[in-house]
Amino acid sequence: MVEAARGSIRVGTAIYLVAILLFVLGPLVVVAGVSFTAGEYVAFPPQGLSLRWYEAIFSSSVYVSAALTSLKLAVIVTISATVIGAGSAIALHRGRLPATPALSALFLSPLVLPSIIFALGLLTLWSSLVGRTSFFALWLGHTVIAVPYVIRTALAVLSTSDKFLEEAARTMGAGPWKAIFHVVIPQALPGIAAGAFFAFNISFDEAIVSLFLRSPEITTLPIQIYTQLEFSPDPSIAAVSTLMIGLTILLIFVIDRVLGIQKVAG
Amino acid sequence: MNRLRIDLFISAPGLLLLAVGFLVPAAVILVLGVRDADGAWTSVHLVRFLTDSFYLGIAWRTVKLSLLITAICVVAGTPLAYIMARGGPRLRLWLIVCITLPLMTSVVVRTFGWMVVLGRGGLVPDALKMLGLVNRNYTLMHTETAIVAGMVQVLFPFMVLSILGVVQRIDSRLEEAARVMGCSFLQSLRLVVLPLAVPGIVAGSLLVFTLSASYFITPNLLGGSRLPVLASSIYETATKTLDWQFAGAQSIILLIGVLMLLIVQAKLTRPAHG
Amino acid sequence: MTAVHLDNVTKSFGGVQVIKGVSLSIKQGEFVSLLGPSGCGKTTLLRMIAGLEEATSGSIHIGGTDSTRLPPEQRDIAMVFQSYALLPHLTVLENVMFPLRMRKLGERAEQRERAEAVLELVQLSHLAQRRPRQLSGGQQQRVAVARAIVSSPKVLLLDEPLSNLDARLRESMQEELIQLHRQTGLTTVFVTHDQEEALSLSDRVVLLNAGVIEQEGLPDELYVAPRSRFAASFMGSTNLLEVELEPSGAGARALLPAGQSLLLGGEVRKRGKATVMVRQEDVRLAPASAGAAATATLVTRIFLGSRTRYVLDLDGHMIRCLAPADQLFDLGEKVSVLVQPDRIRVLAD
Repeated sequence: MVEAARGSIRVGTAIYLVAILLFVLGPLVVVAGVSFTAGEYVAFPPQGLSLRWYEAIFSSSVYVSAALTSLKLAVIVTISATVIGAGSAIALHRGRLPATPALSALFLSPLVLPSIIFALGLLTLWSSLVGRTSFFALWLGHTVIAVPYVIRTALAVLSTSDKFLEEAARTMGAGPWKAIFHVVIPQALPGIAAGAFFAFNISFDEAIVSLFLRSPEITTLPIQIYTQLEFSPDPSIAAVSTLMIGLTILLIFVIDRVLGIQKVAG
Repeated sequence: MNRLRIDLFISAPGLLLLAVGFLVPAAVILVLGVRDADGAWTSVHLVRFLTDSFYLGIAWRTVKLSLLITAICVVAGTPLAYIMARGGPRLRLWLIVCITLPLMTSVVVRTFGWMVVLGRGGLVPDALKMLGLVNRNYTLMHTETAIVAGMVQVLFPFMVLSILGVVQRIDSRLEEAARVMGCSFLQSLRLVVLPLAVPGIVAGSLLVFTLSASYFITPNLLGGSRLPVLASSIYETATKTLDWQFAGAQSIILLIGVLMLLIVQAKLTRPAHG
Repeated sequence: MTAVHLDNVTKSFGGVQVIKGVSLSIKQGEFVSLLGPSGCGKTTLLRMIAGLEEATSGSIHIGGTDSTRLPPEQRDIAMVFQSYALLPHLTVLENVMFPLRMRKLGERAEQRERAEAVLELVQLSHLAQRRPRQLSGGQQQRVAVARAIVSSPKVLLLDEPLSNLDARLRESMQEELIQLHRQTGLTTVFVTHDQEEALSLSDRVVLLNAGVIEQEGLPDELYVAPRSRFAASFMGSTNLLEVELEPSGAGARALLPAGQSLLLGGEVRKRGKATVMVRQEDVRLAPASAGAAATATLVTRIFLGSRTRYVLDLDGHMIRCLAPADQLFDLGEKVSVLVQPDRIRVLAD
């Protein structure tokens, strides 16, 4: 349709697209730009180009240990969120649980309901029941946030699958558990895999729950950045941030390979 | 029945996690909002919120900013959704990736980016200074503008994808028919596409509004403590003044608002599947 | 030896009873079709034999074993679904081996051999390593059939397996199915809404209507001797006439409204009002002659290639006739209608 429009409209469209992309991606590009600065201060455009800030963060024990903590946490969260989320998604898809529509909404609610409420609550509960926050508390909070992502993508794939496959497997002698392993899980696998990568990304980037449940012993990378932001930001933040953005872009492409972004975004 | 038991078994961990990690903690905070120091039921905290003009101002700011954010997303997002719907699959994919990227990066990274762009000596103030509009100490950080900018960047994909879904289902032959009947391109958009895209716009608006009312870190970091929205006020009340009951009361109010929006949204999307 | 025995089986969904008491015995090696219009319950019945639906009451015996409460995986059955339901993540060969794996029939190597042999039978050996999505509809259907027969089940169940194929493919698949049945000797239950298909494939046809068996028997019994209005009109294009039966010599005549009549076969005892049926191809036409018992006016002519269909006005009744192509009459022409007495059947209701 756009081809049949006037030239001025086409030019306008191009300008509009550029403006949108500038607004949406600008801050991220700026961060990347700052990270390569040779100077001492955070400034854009960068004063000279250098990798000194990247060297700085790799040799900073604070950043490295925060990164390792985030990595460790993200891996464990991914595994648990994937297993828990896949099981829940399969059960929801089959629709035999009581009040399945309500249950579905409930499972997906952490995605829309204000996270401040449950994060506060988690802190309260934890300090009154257990005491000091720990790795386990962080795991709990992260997994609660990550599971809905796995459920969402797994359900999206399952909803387009052939509903007769499971019945066919049963007529071929597969009991209920075997049917799940040999038919349902292979069918849902792209959705589960995409969900796993989402979960990793969510956990690695997570700042809200981590903010509440942080303690001096456990600092995740985003929280490290946060504390740095509160004091004196220097270009090392930019370097860390750029690496994190790079990781996210990588994960987006992996998700697209595994599932296709369209199916997830739609 | 055997199959039901299996379904219960595999969803049990999820249910347990949901209950223990989400529902119970949320309930704890909400209950605090209606209890006084001795544990008796009271509405004193809720009343305090609803009668203190400071807090009503916070509620108003939350609504005002959310409306503004939603409106900007609608105006900026609708044309993009159309372009993505009618453009080729490659363009669509790249645009989806681009607008979703901010959402998938860490909030602290995004915020840092905005700080560089809007803060003292940052891109935008520098540009404004060059145009002679402001002095050299000008900063856009800790303003409502900053909050709106940061939130629009993040919530934009929710609006666009919602409208995209609807526009993709509009038969492009309708627009062709309009053109053949004498409409210009822009007229065909206004008279054919826009009315049919309304369900997507409404759904997207509800979603964006709900989410923008629920976020707290972005407004907190970009707006500062002097421009609180409801969610960041809850954070302040709990962690700075340590008035957990009042934080709970504010949480109740926020939750009620969000739930009302979600119910409206659910009612609107249900008939389509009837 | 009875392969499948249904004893007064009923099925209700919620408050609605879909199967209202069906009793059926299928002999070993028989090919039985469950035939009927949409909603008659034929697929539900098939699924109940498979165990995918639980019977509300009554019993189902498969191969002598009471299978009423058994889940599908514990019944010795195999099923071909209308959409084929091939497992997309497995190759064709792995699909065919799947029942053998699940039912633990033989060692891996043996399972492979059996699967390959069956693929040979349906002439798809060359596609063994492909994935289902790389196959055409007809090929997928053959894989589904191969997968069903590989485990030599006590009963093979087919749910309208040919309805997604185009006409020519369907015909050749019908022939293949007949071949396969002869080669394997498997007891087969075949669901279809196409009466021609049922007639051509089956040893026995079971006609279902609204959850009960309307009539069952050999194919030509159902075709030539339908017992009810429903059976008559379902089993092929037929004419139904409301007539008055009165005696005529040793037998009877069917009296038409305006006074014309048709002679019936000798065994007809019924008198008074009745419905008679005459197949379109049993209506013979000849140029009008004075002594003819029945004369009709030609209303419409439809050229079908090898035959011609005429719509005629016989005493106010519109009847259809399938005539050979070389018989040509003009619109409005008066023709004699001749029917062999034994080709007119009086219906029970």
